[in-house]
Amino acid sequence: MSFDLITHSPTMVLGIPLLFAFLTPLADKVSKELRDAVFMMGLLLTVFFVFVMSYEVYTSGAWTYVFGGTESRPTSLTSYFRIMFAADGFSALATITVAITALGAGIYSFAFMDGHSGMEKYYALFLLTFAGVNGMILTADLFNLFVWFEVTSIASCGLIAFQNYRGKSVEAALKYMLISVIGGLFLLVSIGLLYGEYGVLNFYYLAAVMTGGLVDKIALAIIFVVFAMKASSVPMHMWAPDVYSESPGSVTPFIAITSMGSLFVLFRILFGMFRFSMGAVELGTLLIILGLLSMFIGVSMALKQSDVKRLIGYLSVSQIGYMLLAVGVGLTTLENGDYGTFGAMALEGGFFHMINDGVYKALLFLSAAAVVYATGTKDLNRLGGLAHRMPYTTVFFLIGGLSIAGVPPLSGFSSKLLIYKSIYLYHPILAIIALVVSIITFALIGKIFYNAFLGPDLGLTRGEVPTSMLAAMMILTVIVVVFSLFPNYVVAEIVVPAIEGLGVIP
Amino acid sequence: MNFTILPFVMVVLLITMGLYTVLFKRNLIKMIMGVAIIQNGVNLFLVSLAYRDGYAAPIWTSAPSSDMVLPTPHALTLTSIVIGVATTALMLSFVIMLKRHYGTVDSNETRRCRE
Repeated sequence: MSFDLITHSPTMVLGIPLLFAFLTPLADKVSKELRDAVFMMGLLLTVFFVFVMSYEVYTSGAWTYVFGGTESRPTSLTSYFRIMFAADGFSALATITVAITALGAGIYSFAFMDGHSGMEKYYALFLLTFAGVNGMILTADLFNLFVWFEVTSIASCGLIAFQNYRGKSVEAALKYMLISVIGGLFLLVSIGLLYGEYGVLNFYYLAAVMTGGLVDKIALAIIFVVFAMKASSVPMHMWAPDVYSESPGSVTPFIAITSMGSLFVLFRILFGMFRFSMGAVELGTLLIILGLLSMFIGVSMALKQSDVKRLIGYLSVSQIGYMLLAVGVGLTTLENGDYGTFGAMALEGGFFHMINDGVYKALLFLSAAAVVYATGTKDLNRLGGLAHRMPYTTVFFLIGGLSIAGVPPLSGFSSKLLIYKSIYLYHPILAIIALVVSIITFALIGKIFYNAFLGPDLGLTRGEVPTSMLAAMMILTVIVVVFSLFPNYVVAEIVVPAIEGLGVIP
Repeated sequence: MNFTILPFVMVVLLITMGLYTVLFKRNLIKMIMGVAIIQNGVNLFLVSLAYRDGYAAPIWTSAPSSDMVLPTPHALTLTSIVIGVATTALMLSFVIMLKRHYGTVDSNETRRCRE
C-alpha cells in the first residue's frame, strides 16, 4: 500500500506536532534560529495538513480513519475494537478553528516571549497542546479521548505556568490542573461504566447499542459535567478568568481554544452517542439552561472587572453561553419536528459562532496582551491614550471588540443574527436575554476601548509592539474580515458539512 | 456475570476518601494526595471490571485451554497509571513553586488571583 498523504492526513494532524514538539529541544542545541525555524515549520505543516484533511472532507466526503486497519470505513465488528479517527465535517470545522488560533498565537510568541529562557520547552509544550486538542476533536474512541484530554491538560498547564517567576501564574496553573485531573479521572470512571456495560469504547458502536439505562445516565451526567467544566460553562467557570488573566499573553487564546475544543467534544458525544437513547429534548433543555446562565453570569461578572484580560476572560465565558444556547435549541428540535423550521438555523448559528468566536476572541486576547506588553499593566484605571502611540493595535482591538459585541458588518453579527432568529422562534424570552447580553458586551468593549485607547497620551509606552506580533494580529483580523464579508459562503461550505458530520453514523 | 462485590466497595471507599481529602483539606500537598487516592480508586475500578469468573488471565505463554478475559481494561489501567504519575509530579512541582513565591501551602492563603 502506497503512503497516501490525503488518506493519512488525520494522523498527520497529530503526528506532525508531536514529532516537531520533540525536535525543537534538539534543534535548540544547535542554534536559536534553527529552533524557531523548526517550531514554525511544525506549526505550518500541521495547519497545512488540517486544510488538506478539511479539503478532502469538503470535496469527497467524510471518512473514518481506522488505526491498524486497511479499510477506510469500518465494515465488521472487529474494526470497532480498533481506535478510530472521524474525519468528517465536524472535525474539519473544529480543527480549522484550532489551527487558525494556533497559527496566530504561534507567530505572536516569537516577539512576545523573546527574552525568556527555556523557550524550546515553551515551543514543545505549545505543539503538544496543539496535538492534544486535535486528538480530542478527531478521535472516535472513548479511552483515546481520555488520553488526549490528559495530554492537553498537562501541556496547557505547563504553558500557563511558563512564567513561573510570577506566583499568580503558578496558582492559576495549579487550579486548572486540579480541575482537569479530577475531571479526567471522573471521565475515566464513566468510560469504565460504559465499557463494563457494553464492552466497547467506540462512539459509533456505543451509539448503536446504547439502551439508556441507569448506568448510561450516570455516565452521561459525568461526561457532561466534565466537558462543560473544561468549556468554562457557568457553574464550573471559576478557573477561566484566573487562567486567562495570568497565563502568558501569547498562549491565552490557545488556552481559550482548548476549552472550546472540549465544547466540540461535548457536542460530538451528545449528538453522536447519547441523543439516540436519552432523548434529545432533555439534553437540549439542559444545554439551554447552562447557556443562559453562562451568558448572563459571565457578562455581569465582567462588569466589575478592571483587569483587562480578566474582563475579556469573563466575556469569553458569556460567549460560550451563546453556543450552548444555540446548539441546545438545535438539539431540542431534532425530536419534536421543528428541525426544518428553525432547528437547522440554530445549529448553523451555534457552529458558525464557534468558529467566529475562536478567531475574534484570539484577536481580542492578543491585542489585550499587546497592551500589557507595551505598558506593563493590566489595570484599566491606569491605562489611557494608547491610540496615539499604538494605532495598529487599536484598530485590531476595535475589529475584534466590535465583532464580539455583534455589531452589524462584522462576523460576530452574522452568527448572532442566526442565533437570535432561531431562538426567537423557540421562545422569545431567550432571544431578548441574548440581545441584552450582547448590548452589555458592547458596553464593556466600549469601556475597554475608552479607558485604554482613547484620551490624552499618558506616555505609558514608547510605541507600537514588534512586527511579528502585529503580523499575528493582522492574520486574525484578515480572517475576521473575510468571515464578515462572506458569511453565506462560510455557512454553506464549512458549517453545513459540520452539522451533517455530526448526524451521520457510518 | 458473576462479579465479586468487594473490589467495587473498595473503589467507592477510595474515591469518596479522595474526594473528601480534596474538598475539605486546606494543605495543598494533602489535596494532591487526595487526587492520587482517587486515581488509585479509578484504576482499581478498571481492573475489577476486567475480572470474569472462571476466565484465565490474558497471558499468551503457557495459556490454559479455557477462555481468556479481554485485556483492554488492563491496557487502559497501565496508560492511566502512567498519566497519573505525570499529573501528580506536575502538580507537586507547582506546589513547590507556590511555596517559594507565597511561603505557604495553605489553600486559603494561595488565592491571590482575584486581588
